[in-house]
Amino acid sequence: MNQPPALFPASRRRILRRWSCALAALVATGVCLWAAEKLVLPKVSKPEPAQPKIGLDTDKHLDKTPPRQTKGLDLVKMGWTYDCNECHKLIEPKWHYDGRPMVEHEQVKLNHGNNRFCLNCHSAKNHNVFVDYDGSEIKQQDVVQLCARCHGTTYRDWQHGAHGRTNGHWDKSKGEQTQLRCIQCHDPHDPAYKPILTLRAPDYPARAAGSAHSSQPETAKH
Amino acid sequence: MANGSPIQPKRVEEALKPLTRRTFLKGTAATMAGVAGLVSALRPLLSLERGEITMDELLQKHYSQLKPEDMQHILGVLEKKCEREYGVKPDIRDIKPLAGVQFGYALSLTKCIGCRKCAHACMAENNQSRDYDDDVNMSYIRVLELAKGSINVETSDHYYTGEVPKKDKYYMPVQCHQCQESPCTKACPVQATWMEPDGVVTVDYNWCIGCRYCMAACPYDARRFNFKKPTIGEQAINPNQSYLSNRIRPKGVVEKCTFCLHRTREGKYPACLEVCPTGARVFGNLLDPASEINYILKNKRVYILKEDAGTVPKFYYYFD
Repeated sequence: MNQPPALFPASRRRILRRWSCALAALVATGVCLWAAEKLVLPKVSKPEPAQPKIGLDTDKHLDKTPPRQTKGLDLVKMGWTYDCNECHKLIEPKWHYDGRPMVEHEQVKLNHGNNRFCLNCHSAKNHNVFVDYDGSEIKQQDVVQLCARCHGTTYRDWQHGAHGRTNGHWDKSKGEQTQLRCIQCHDPHDPAYKPILTLRAPDYPARAAGSAHSSQPETAKH
Repeated sequence: MANGSPIQPKRVEEALKPLTRRTFLKGTAATMAGVAGLVSALRPLLSLERGEITMDELLQKHYSQLKPEDMQHILGVLEKKCEREYGVKPDIRDIKPLAGVQFGYALSLTKCIGCRKCAHACMAENNQSRDYDDDVNMSYIRVLELAKGSINVETSDHYYTGEVPKKDKYYMPVQCHQCQESPCTKACPVQATWMEPDGVVTVDYNWCIGCRYCMAACPYDARRFNFKKPTIGEQAINPNQSYLSNRIRPKGVVEKCTFCLHRTREGKYPACLEVCPTGARVFGNLLDPASEINYILKNKRVYILKEDAGTVPKFYYYFD
């Protein structure tokens, strides 16, 4: 067969092919980088709320899990990073949702007694913080101050160690003391304490003077 | 006696009766009973031979008379014994009470939900038997479920199950009240149990003879008896032990809550408080006016269980 005459001699052709390959690779890399930049999530401006330490490290045999692990930002834990203001600079905050199903925050079921308004606690201007009576901001880690706005007597008890659990040392001169915060036991949106399953009953020795429960009924174990 | 009849000397025939079949059998029975008594009195020596107790334990002096070096020796012996029998070398100490400290405990009947976490933490901390399901009977804490409206422990239930708290019930954990006028220590015939200067009633397990008089005397049913050697797996043993509290008890002695004195005398909270999910438990020094316990006693409505028994407990229930 008669080949059509080549545009370039073979040697030039090889060089050209090499160059075009390199160019294609460069363009592909550029596209990838551009796409990657487009895919990068918004900046982290709301760090994961650290779980405060509970009790002493030496007490591994005691289960000191607080009743409610502060969920904080589940999305952050999953690797997402976001800032509440990313949405809320566009979305006008509402005082009240009238019981209509919310499109966002649908896991939030507000059941906090007479406290029915989002903006009672959340700041309308900066959604990363809470709000005090006078409109000043309460940082997320100072959530106790937010609860103390209404629950003054409970807050007073808490300050004296008579509400909520204190772990560690009763004698502060001998070591540290940790205290659970409000939201480690109470869900702020639904603060009533939820029923839990009881642990199995130990078998108690029967009393000599036969009581009504001197023998263990069959229902005792689970 | 002035006007009594003079004592007549026995006649020889009466004093030296001939050995009849009846008297012989009586005498033999009495001798046999005596020998049996002697053998049973020497039984502890058998356990000595079997290695269940050591000569040191057998010849030990009362706790109040022990010199520090004696105690060190005993603790060493106990540690070795525990290692031999349970495979774990514990750290047994004889922790002395702190000066200027009286321990007190308060428990909120409003907050307690009856989850029994305290009862289980107690067993984990105090090295109680829990290897088998049917062998979990030594927890010092008994959580009573009572009907709302009255405090009637007679109709209480401590074997309730399921979700707690139930709507018409409230819960009252009962443990040793560390009474100031403790009936148990008064009942002990050998002074094996006494109240320490910080108010904790303790038992010397090496001195207890297992008569259980103290258990009968306690109005709170707070004492437990070791009917058998505790069964605990190697992993489950808490090596932080003390002589008067949570060291593994021998068979045949009485034990009780000591407010976890191996923890509290080092400034820590008791184990039952550490795990309480509701914060119903408050512990502290009664002599410190700024302590949490004093805040409760000053500001809350306090209830003392069986106050009429006159035991003057240092365990208080309160309402929020």
